[in-house]
Amino acid sequence: MTLVNPMNEAIPQAALPPPRLTSLAGRRIALLDISKPGGDVFLDRLEALLKERHGVASVIRERKPTFTKPAPPEVIERLRGADAVIEALAD
Amino acid sequence: MLVLGERAPGFDGWLADGQPAVVVFLETDCPTCRLTAPYLNRLAQSVRVIGVSQDSEAATREFAAQVPVAFPLRVDPELMVSRAWDPPIVPALFLLDGDGIVRRAEIGFDKDVLNAIANDLGQPPVADPFDGAPSRKPGCSSRHLEPAVIGEEAAALNVHGSRGGKASRFELAEGEDEYEYRLRMFGDALPVVPPTAQRVERMLRASPIDPREVIGRIPPCYGEATVEKIAANAVMAGCVPEMMRVLIPLVRAACDERLNLHGVQATTHFAAPLVIVNGPVRDELGFWSRQNVFSNVARANSTLGRALQLILLNLGGARPDGIDMSALGNPGKFSYCIAENEEASPWEPLHVELGFRPDQSTVTLFAAEPPRGVSEHTARSAKGVLRAIARALETVWSYRSCLTFEALVVIGPEHARTIAHDGFSKHDARQFLFENSGIPVSEYDGDGGEGTQLVAQYQETIIEGVRCYQKFRAPESIRIVVSGGTAGKFSAVLGSWATGARGSQMVTYPV
Repeated sequence: MTLVNPMNEAIPQAALPPPRLTSLAGRRIALLDISKPGGDVFLDRLEALLKERHGVASVIRERKPTFTKPAPPEVIERLRGADAVIEALAD
Repeated sequence: MLVLGERAPGFDGWLADGQPAVVVFLETDCPTCRLTAPYLNRLAQSVRVIGVSQDSEAATREFAAQVPVAFPLRVDPELMVSRAWDPPIVPALFLLDGDGIVRRAEIGFDKDVLNAIANDLGQPPVADPFDGAPSRKPGCSSRHLEPAVIGEEAAALNVHGSRGGKASRFELAEGEDEYEYRLRMFGDALPVVPPTAQRVERMLRASPIDPREVIGRIPPCYGEATVEKIAANAVMAGCVPEMMRVLIPLVRAACDERLNLHGVQATTHFAAPLVIVNGPVRDELGFWSRQNVFSNVARANSTLGRALQLILLNLGGARPDGIDMSALGNPGKFSYCIAENEEASPWEPLHVELGFRPDQSTVTLFAAEPPRGVSEHTARSAKGVLRAIARALETVWSYRSCLTFEALVVIGPEHARTIAHDGFSKHDARQFLFENSGIPVSEYDGDGGEGTQLVAQYQETIIEGVRCYQKFRAPESIRIVVSGGTAGKFSAVLGSWATGARGSQMVTYPV
């Protein structure tokens, strides 16, 4: 018996993730707020901790216009150059 | 991942030889693996521990020297062992008995688990609860599940190509049960019709469109919905071939950016796309709009709704055990399709209200919660019935939340008749529902619950002498459809997901 494959057959194209950071000291860290209520509370605290405890050099703050959709290209573009991005899901 | 009772595949360096063993999968840059290794060293003093590193020989050597690791650590350069054992997360610990049977399979770091393994092997505890390390720590995803294609930039998704690939074929071995095979390979938890080449061919003959044409790309994984793929899913759902002419525009509607299926399919909320069918196609293909309209009443409703759900699953990748993160789900994810009872409605049907001709047929998609019932058997006036519906509308999303959602009101024919009898047009009914849905200002007592944060944006109004916040942004936030049986004074309210340009908007396509 022959069955027709009803599924998505596209092969996922993806980049290899960059190597994990061994230390946060002196790094540029981006914090992406997906714009859910409470996300800023979490990220404000995280930013303070990153600077106080881990010696992070700078923090970039970005915000998605809506949590319901993928980040638009211009937001992604502004994250470029960060050593790591932390995305906050909150409610 | 190997499950309990399964025989572990052998690999060089380890064979079932009558002695139990602990096999652990590690990554050299995973902090949780680093945390776990010293505890395994302790265990390795008295039992056999074998490590499998998912990284290069050099990185593994460095890791073993740094930690240090006191048990044999072999590399798995092609990740063949990792693929065979299939741990989703590292560290992954497998306790094997002397026959090589899996007795425990654990992921991440957990002191209790490490001590339980030691105990199973007749050893004293290896993890002191107060040694300064956390009692638990999640791990990293296993290397064999990381993206397979290596490159600096991912290739852009081809979202504009209009010709898709031909669907591949599965050849079933002699004697293989096609229903069981299907359950293992694709579809949801209910049986489906096996999409044999013959059945799919029959389905395709009912559509004038080239089987390779891409009708849409289904979020969130953007699988190509070619006509052939749509047909295969339609077969599985039990559709008649003629249903292709409804299914094609329905897939176009599902891929309309305004519906924002990407969000609808991945949200933790209850929403699922509800199909509303209008126009002559209801009679032509047997869509049911009377009693039990939300139930398992008619083949057309059930199979069209089910075909859409299977497409979202198989082509969109919104697996209910994976990317679809709905906290409680929605029974509509098996099938969610109603038709408007235009014959029993005193008003213009939905598609006419939206600018289509009465003799046109349409499919509408609305990201909806499950229906909540409104019983009103004693009110004899339009306002009495509408007030009962307004009270249900006030509970949409959560009682004190206002403005950021919409609602679909499915008015039962008996209620519609009572409302129209008092001279209310559909427009009047909607206006009344809008003006009379509100939450008393006294409910916002400063406790900071959901819905209270946005109070500054809320509009005040007076409903029956009480100061209230308007529940909905505008009358247009409330959609009305007449459907259901002619006996029983019931209606239903269906809350939406987040709406507007920042959420999901209702879409209607001609058939």
